[in-house]
This record gives sequence, C-alpha cells and structure tokens, in this order.
Amino acid sequence: MNVLRLLVVGTLLHAKQISRSPFEVAIALVVPVVQATLAVHLFRAGGEQHRLLEAAVGAGVMGVWSSVLFGSGGAIQNQRWQGTLEMIMLAPRRPVLVILPITIATGVTGIYALLATLLWGRFLYGIRLDFAHPAAFVVAAVVCVIALGMFGLLLAATFVLMRNANALANTLEYPVWLVSGMLVPITVLPSWTGPLAAVLPTTWGARALREATSGGPVWPSLTICLGISLLCLALGGFALTYVERRARAAATLALA
Amino acid sequence: MKTLRLMTVGGAIAYRALFNWTTPGMFVGTLLVGPLFQLLFFAYLGRQLQVADDRFYIVGNAVLTASLACVFGGTMAVANERRFGTLGHVLLSPRSRTAIFWGRVIPYAGNGLLIAVVTLAVGALLLGLRIPLGALPGLFLAMAAGSLACGFFGLTLGALGLRFRDVWVVSNVSVALLLLLTGVNVPAANLPGWMVTVGHFLPITHAAEAARRLAAGDGMAAAAPALGQELLVGAGYAVAAVALLKIFEVESRRRASLDAL
Repeated sequence: MNVLRLLVVGTLLHAKQISRSPFEVAIALVVPVVQATLAVHLFRAGGEQHRLLEAAVGAGVMGVWSSVLFGSGGAIQNQRWQGTLEMIMLAPRRPVLVILPITIATGVTGIYALLATLLWGRFLYGIRLDFAHPAAFVVAAVVCVIALGMFGLLLAATFVLMRNANALANTLEYPVWLVSGMLVPITVLPSWTGPLAAVLPTTWGARALREATSGGPVWPSLTICLGISLLCLALGGFALTYVERRARAAATLALA
Repeated sequence: MKTLRLMTVGGAIAYRALFNWTTPGMFVGTLLVGPLFQLLFFAYLGRQLQVADDRFYIVGNAVLTASLACVFGGTMAVANERRFGTLGHVLLSPRSRTAIFWGRVIPYAGNGLLIAVVTLAVGALLLGLRIPLGALPGLFLAMAAGSLACGFFGLTLGALGLRFRDVWVVSNVSVALLLLLTGVNVPAANLPGWMVTVGHFLPITHAAEAARRLAAGDGMAAAAPALGQELLVGAGYAVAAVALLKIFEVESRRRASLDAL
C-alpha cells in the first residue's frame, strides 16, 4: 500500500513539476496538434477520409512517445542538473521506486497529446469520435501510458550510462514512430523491421489503441504491451541499481 | 574585403565556440540519422497513402532536413550569446553587427547543406530513387539556397530572443510547422489556401519545388523561378533579422535589459 502511495504521489508531484515549465507546456500544446493536422491532411489527400480518427489517434500516440522519450531519457540527467539526484538516491526506497514516478509522469504528460489531437480533430475537422470500443479505448490509453512509463525507466537507466544520450534520444523519435506502426502500417515496411516492432511496447500499445478505435481484439495487444513493459521495468530496475552502486563507489553521482 | 573576412573568420570561430560541446556521435545521431528516419517515415507514409511518388517525398524531405541545423543554428547564433553572457561583448564591437551576425549564418547553412546532401544520397540509395546526373549541380544549388534561407529564418527567430525570454519554444514550433506548411509532405493542392500562402513566405517551400523539378529531369530553366523565389525569401529574412536585431539592441540598451534572462 505504501509502495502504491509512493508511486501515485510521486507521479502527481513530477507531473505538476513538468507542468510548471513554460517550454514543456508550449511544446506539448502545439507540436502534437501540428502533427495531427499533417496526418489529417495526408490521409485526406490519400482519399482515406474514413480513417481520419485513426490518423488523429496515431498522431496522439506519436506525441506520447515523444514525451516519454525526451522526458524519461533525460530524467536522471535533469535531476542531476537540478541538484536533486543525491537526495533522490538517499531516499530510503529502492531507486526504481523513486525514478519510476518520474517516467510515468512523462507518459501522463504525453497523454495530453492524445486528448489534444482528438479534440483538435473533432472541433476543427469535424472528425466524429466514433470509437469501435470506447471503454476499451480509455482503458488502453491508461495502460499504454503506464506501460510506456515503465519502458521509460529502462530508457532512463540506460541513457545515463551513455555520454551521447541526447543524440540517441533525438535519433529514436522517428524510427519508433515508423517501426511501431503509429501512422504507417508495419506491413508496408521491409520485413526485417518485423522482429524489431514485435519487441517494442510502443507497437502493441499503438495497435491496442488502433483496434479500440477501428475495431479488433484490443485485449491481446494490450496484454502483450503490458508484458513487455513489465520486462522493461525489471531490466530498468537492475540497470538502475547497477548505475547507482557504480556511481556511489566512484563518487560520480553528481557529475555529468 | 575586411567585411568578408569578418564574416567568414568570425562565423567560423562562433560556430566552433557554440558547438564545442558536440561530439561526432552526437552530430551523426542528431543531424544525420534522425533526419534520415524522418525522410523514411514520410516516404513510407506517402507510399501507403499513395499521395505522391517516392521522388516527391525523398527530394522534398532531403531539402527539409537542412532546416533542423539551420533554424536552430541561426537561433543559437544570437540566443546563446545572451544565455552565456557574451552578447554585450559582441554588441560592443566597433565592427558592423550586420556583418557579424550574417557571418554566423554561413557555417550553419553549410552544415544544413551537408545534412541535406547526405540525406538525399542515402535516402535515394535506400529507396531506389534514380536522379539524373545532370541534375546534381542544380540540386546542390537548390539545397544550398534552402539552407541559407533557413539560416536567415533562424537568425530572425534568434533576434526575437533579444526581446522574448524563451525563444526555443518559437524555434521548436517553427521547425514543426515547416513540416506542414512547406508542401514537402502534403502536396500544395491538398492544403488549404491560407497554408499554401503562408508556405510561400517560408524557407524550403520554393527550394523543395526547384529540387523536385530538377530531380524529375526538367532542367535548370524550369527550376530557376522557384530557385529565385527561395533566394528572395532568404534575402527577406536576412533583412528582417538585421532590422529586428537593430531595433531590439537599441531597446535593450534603453531598458538596460540586454543580459536579463
């Protein structure tokens, strides 16, 4: 119970902190809407008017991924720059329980992108929000955000080991959008991308949301998404413990 | 001659200073691999939706990839001086600030050109696009014009940084808008009229059009008007940047807010 409280309070705290950054807020407000507008016009140009809702959802999931990628990837580095990393690591809890709320908070922030693209599509382009499985869509969105937050923990733990983590984060945005089938169906990609797509939780999360939107078996995709994310959480937890011990031993916790 | 030296040597030193934190890994990851995946993303999306052929997406996105380095570079040329507390020293210089800041844009434009060339080459190889050999010099010119226009566009945004606190929001949003408004990913015929009109005043729009004509084998004569328009847009932003820099410099001195962040 205490652990759950820690996770919920921590997530709310970090979500509030992110929402105090004018830069984060402005980017989160505008960029997903631009992406959604682009997707809508592209789908219209391709004569796929019946798939506009799918396009808006896809653009929203792209926004969630961007938020998790940049937020979680830089989670530990940001704490270090703010001078709060030592305090976090000194907390009488396992590091994974202290960092996980940060990465889930980036997913929660990203869910704005999903809401914004849907509302934008509804009010500006008159896209009817006729979800095939409305209740499943809400569940899928919540599970997807939590799952991506867990995946974010693995990113946070591994990125901190790399000197060029920023470069990796910048590089990973479009490949994951592409390979996960957020807007482009995986079937049109070269066959070698299939195994890559299969191990990414983003693929299954995007698929679950698409199936809840246009019809299809939502729950198997969502279960796989959650399963892979739990595995990422476990790996991230091990990596984080290793990084923390190494940094304490070498006295480099506060060093960039 | 002295002004030319100031522009080239000053620009090169400032470029090195502002990029002192980078490493080959960061450069390749952020400026070469990322834009290549952007090209692939839109090329596959275009294929799937059958909005336009591969040439449309590969050539258009290759030209657009220059914008990342050029817009952010141009913005950094002014905004980072303020952030690092060195803007006052630059403005105390007895030399022309116009020459100093225009000189800053040139290395970033060169950087953008390199990115565009690499992205076009790799994208065309990966997706099997054949470009007539005779079109290559013209394509180089179109990409150079697009990069230069983007650099001056970034400098204009950077000048706004003398007045507004968080200019990076403007830069990030502008780069996202270039994806939509330049007609690189959605053909102009499928965009609302006002978006097309706005696109005409943005960098990349005309350079991408010129590059597509050249890649289609239409020849330099067909591409020249669009190329001229791109240069005109670039020149417009160069003038706008200098005017804004001048206005905000005077205003900052008057209000003693030059180094206020």
